[in-house]
Amino acid sequence: MARFRDSYEGFVERGAELLAVGPDGLEQFQRYWQREGLSFIGMPDPGNSVAKLYKQEVNLFKFGRMPMNCIIDLDGYIRYIHYSANRKDYPDMEIFFDVIDELNKASNKV
Amino acid sequence: MSSLLLQTGELAPDFSLENINGNFIRLSDYRGKKPVVLSFLRGFI
Repeated sequence: MARFRDSYEGFVERGAELLAVGPDGLEQFQRYWQREGLSFIGMPDPGNSVAKLYKQEVNLFKFGRMPMNCIIDLDGYIRYIHYSANRKDYPDMEIFFDVIDELNKASNKV
Repeated sequence: MSSLLLQTGELAPDFSLENINGNFIRLSDYRGKKPVVLSFLRGFI
């Protein structure tokens, strides 16, 4: 979450919305968002209904849910998707920015 | 196994969830407006 916080301006500048979905409940989310000073949208999904819809993987040997990140274009299609293999397997923020820049170029909305 | 996962080029499944401020956010509301980065977290604990 810290890397999204530290790079948040890059998403704002590119006109992208950042939505973070997690298995924790509302109060835990609110506490965490306040403590970490996060400005993007946090969405509790304690029933994991959306996580299941997006096939977020659960690995019992690696202590739970593996991160998953995707980028959705203006027509609602997935243009980038990354299922983490482990907790340290996280895409570089530059990858997100490059994909968004390409989408913006394609839609002439820069 | 990997064929069970979502892939690039697929339509993103639509959903609606309440955010931490009590507002419902629907993914398809961003269509035609903004690209969306959707991040699924491990959980805080």
